[in-house]
Amino acid sequence: MEFAELIRTPRVDNVVLHRPFYPAVEGTLCLTGHHLILSSRQDNTEELWLLHSNIDAIDKRFVGPLGTIIIKCKDFRIIQLDIPGMEECLNIASSIEALSTLDSITLMYPFFYRPMFEVIEDGWHSFLPEQEFEFYSSATSEWRLSYVNKEFAVCPSYSPIVIVPKSIDDEALRKVATFRHGGRFPVLSYYHKKNGMVIMRSGQPLTGTNGRRCKEDEKLINATLRAGKRGYIIDTRSLTVAQQARAKGGGFEQEAHYPQWRRIHKSIERYHILQESLIKLVEACNDQTHNMDRWLSKLEASNWLTHIKEILTTACLAAQCIDREGASILIHGTEGTDSTLQVTSLAQIILEPRSRTIRGFEALIEREWLQAGHPFQQRCAQSAYCNSRQKWESPVFLLFLDCVWQILRQFPCSFEFNENFLIMLFEHAYASQFGTFLGNNESERCKLKLQQKTMSLWSWVNRPSELSKFTSPLFEANNLVIWPSVAPQSLHLWEGIFLRWNRSSKYLDEAYEEMVNIIEHNKELQAKVNILRRQLAELETEDGMQESP
Amino acid sequence: MEFSELIRTGRAQAELLRGPEAPPLRGTLCVTGHHLLLSPGPQATSDLWLLLLRSVDSIEKRVAGDSGTITLRCKDLRVLQLDIEGVEATLDIARSIEALSSLESVITSFPFFYRPKGLRLGDAWHFHPPEHYYKRVARETNAWRLSEVNEDFSVCPSYPRAVIVPRAVDDDALKRSARFRQGGRFPVLSYHHAPSGTVLLRSSQPLTGPQKRRCAEDEEMLRAVLAGARPGARGFIVDTRSSQTAKQARMTGGGTEAKAAYPGWKRLHRPLERGRPLQESFVRLVEACGDLEQSMDRWLSRLEGCRWLAHVKEALSTACLAAQGMEREGACILVHGAEGTDSTLLVTSLAQLILDPLSRTMAGFQELVEREWIQAGHPFQLRCAHSAFSHARPKHEAPTFLLFLDCVWQLGRQFPLSLEFGEGLLLALFEHAYASPFGTFLCNSEKERCLCEVRTRTHSLWSGLNQPKEQRKVRNPLYVLNPLAIWPSVEPQSLRLWQGLFLRWTRPPEPSEVAWEKVWQIVTDKEKTEGSQPTVSAPEPQS
Repeated sequence: MEFAELIRTPRVDNVVLHRPFYPAVEGTLCLTGHHLILSSRQDNTEELWLLHSNIDAIDKRFVGPLGTIIIKCKDFRIIQLDIPGMEECLNIASSIEALSTLDSITLMYPFFYRPMFEVIEDGWHSFLPEQEFEFYSSATSEWRLSYVNKEFAVCPSYSPIVIVPKSIDDEALRKVATFRHGGRFPVLSYYHKKNGMVIMRSGQPLTGTNGRRCKEDEKLINATLRAGKRGYIIDTRSLTVAQQARAKGGGFEQEAHYPQWRRIHKSIERYHILQESLIKLVEACNDQTHNMDRWLSKLEASNWLTHIKEILTTACLAAQCIDREGASILIHGTEGTDSTLQVTSLAQIILEPRSRTIRGFEALIEREWLQAGHPFQQRCAQSAYCNSRQKWESPVFLLFLDCVWQILRQFPCSFEFNENFLIMLFEHAYASQFGTFLGNNESERCKLKLQQKTMSLWSWVNRPSELSKFTSPLFEANNLVIWPSVAPQSLHLWEGIFLRWNRSSKYLDEAYEEMVNIIEHNKELQAKVNILRRQLAELETEDGMQESP
Repeated sequence: MEFSELIRTGRAQAELLRGPEAPPLRGTLCVTGHHLLLSPGPQATSDLWLLLLRSVDSIEKRVAGDSGTITLRCKDLRVLQLDIEGVEATLDIARSIEALSSLESVITSFPFFYRPKGLRLGDAWHFHPPEHYYKRVARETNAWRLSEVNEDFSVCPSYPRAVIVPRAVDDDALKRSARFRQGGRFPVLSYHHAPSGTVLLRSSQPLTGPQKRRCAEDEEMLRAVLAGARPGARGFIVDTRSSQTAKQARMTGGGTEAKAAYPGWKRLHRPLERGRPLQESFVRLVEACGDLEQSMDRWLSRLEGCRWLAHVKEALSTACLAAQGMEREGACILVHGAEGTDSTLLVTSLAQLILDPLSRTMAGFQELVEREWIQAGHPFQLRCAHSAFSHARPKHEAPTFLLFLDCVWQLGRQFPLSLEFGEGLLLALFEHAYASPFGTFLCNSEKERCLCEVRTRTHSLWSGLNQPKEQRKVRNPLYVLNPLAIWPSVEPQSLRLWQGLFLRWTRPPEPSEVAWEKVWQIVTDKEKTEGSQPTVSAPEPQS
């Protein structure tokens, strides 16, 4: 097969590996179609087993005949390989470069990966839109499932099944789709059972410079409001940006045509600005100059925490409209595939206790990111080390995970999952043996036949042995809405991601272990106490029975 | 007594606002000699609200119509607002608070009147005499002796009665060395590191002056230190000033040890901030923390601009340097700056926490604070007269002790299992250093404490803290004895703002505190259900 052509030197001996937290180790380096493997010859154990797709950038250096390859991974780890022999080193470097940037998705590892574990539940069928709808249909009959997008003809980035107002028929949906960017007509994102308010999302309306209207669009949006209720349209762009979008055929809803709705503009950064922010942040975190002023000013200049604050603030606003004002909301930016999804999904974390459980959070990722058409393939093609500036990369999903972490940090007892769960999702979004994050939308995933040809991430995660790693010992179901603080002092750098490879977390992990042990032990003792109490009660009733004739 | 002259209005109706989370409190406000009291009306709960007047850092009054508002900014960084009925009452109460909160006399301060139930005067004052630490040193080595040359505080007014010095040096030599050191602070033992046989010493700067004066006894003393450690031992003098500042100090009579005069000793300069710049850094940080509406950029640039974290980093780095010199290089260390009562103590006490597992226990840490700060003559009264809100021009104020507590907090954050005490103890020490019903942090030196009879007429903070009901607040439930040195990471990325202190009153009650509370509860439950040896040992009777 064609990988062989790319691998000129499949094996080199006496390679020295340097990586964070471990002493340097010497061994044999092997290249396969998808992996870079280093095994120390002493006991034949693999010291390193790295997916090529996890490699973000490589540097090579030569000192005499000794070559050094520095591998920078998408999870921000930096690994160094010292390779004797200039030719071997060059061969290895060019193979890694070629193999880590394969163009064809079907050559990616998920298509070759055969799981070594028993699949208990096929993750591809774990989170179907029908199930989500069932959850709502017990509470309301105002919404229906529509199969209008069955062939992906109406909106290529939507899933085949969407939830829309019952009173709007498929014909009207088709017309609305022509009036919305990328065909993304307004669909239900979340139904707040407490008061029946909803979050909808869409693409921007294509009003253009001459203020085009669409009767069906107006009807659809109004159909979601109950009599006398008001709604808010949250535009994730500033007013200026939204106005400029008209020149390119986009635009925003004129309040005159949507009289029950008020528009709010909340600017959230997108695209390359976020990517540059990530690059600057990771650079700052790797800075070795030991200067506090320099670190703080670099942290500030990266603007990463500013983006976190903007996103969380907007999500809080959306949640406030729903829970405090009792108003429904529609969220969109331009395409409705990036900042829109950040806001809708974070608002659900704030509002909906179910989305703070492991299963519920997985469902949220599946519904609000994968099925909602966030273009993972484009956004996560490169991470913070890549030199080639391509224009589609953007750490939109990582920012979302970071925001979830901020809320988790502020409400440690309200989440069923721990930080490791979020870190795992970050890793798999950028490089994975599973097919879940491949493709840009459901339509592409369908064409790639991912369900048949690859394994779902959820099939692996939802096994008890994995789940135990991701479960927070402090979790106590909290049925309330949780309001995170967005004051700048309350937002922190996510060390678990950004300082993960710079600083050993050994002692923090030990403390965490200790806490888990104590909690486990406590549970056991509680169980014992309960058994003893029951026995005591039984004995007492027996006594009573013996006494009474 | 004279307080009554300062109290213009005994009482007024008022409403107290204590931040966003606590409900407002209505009732009768009273000013007494040492306290501000608010007793709610008969219909409300019987809880009496009490504030030590000494803890008021600044006071601001506004009147509008027939009522007034007093904003009290406390030394523990809390901000309180009192809405008072009556303009006259408001002004009178404000004036009374102003006068009473800034009384300078020590012996009329509250600790001399505080007589809590369950505590006996004199308890716990005897916990940590110099003899106590000397006994430990004597078990490890016989190169040192306890000298009572300062018995009447005449040799060095800021040292305690007894100090630990090289056995080979007699009291006369000590007296001569004292004349050669600023404030009479001749080199004394701060810590003996038994595993390496090396010692940590502290002193003040030598008074070499522009003519590069020398003192044979001082030189002999440092030679004796090296000889007592092991043959061929080396020494480092860690000067907490830049070499520039140290040179300039000669003009005012101070200076540094000349290399030729102290063979075997090498001088290192590690400038640490002190005095007014440190106080300003504290003030600016607290200002930045108080503004919750600012943008992320503004917050981060103010955090950078105040340089507090840079000071934390410098202090920890220098302590690591001293500790490394002892443990890794087997060298003796002498630390001094100018007076030897501020940054010097910061370095010596942090180095001990890094190296000495005993100092990380509850009793050991209290002993460390007592020995290396209180008895070592850190001028608490001068340094902690005002906190970050005071409008008064700072004269001698500097948050050196707070900086120490912050560094300890950073250690605890990086080694969550290794300290027996938790954040609660550090917060308590901060509060009590600035305003306290206990006598522990009163005065500037042992000499002053002796004159004021602090030990016999006030209660010790340690006996207050070591009551069982307080223990829960100050212990770390996860503590496991760690016999190793703990080397903190001092990279800027590893150091955090101490939210528990600086954002304690501005942020909503941190849910992680709630989580912590839960961990505590579980640990306590576990002890109860198990009934066996608890993880967190009960407070041991101390001798």
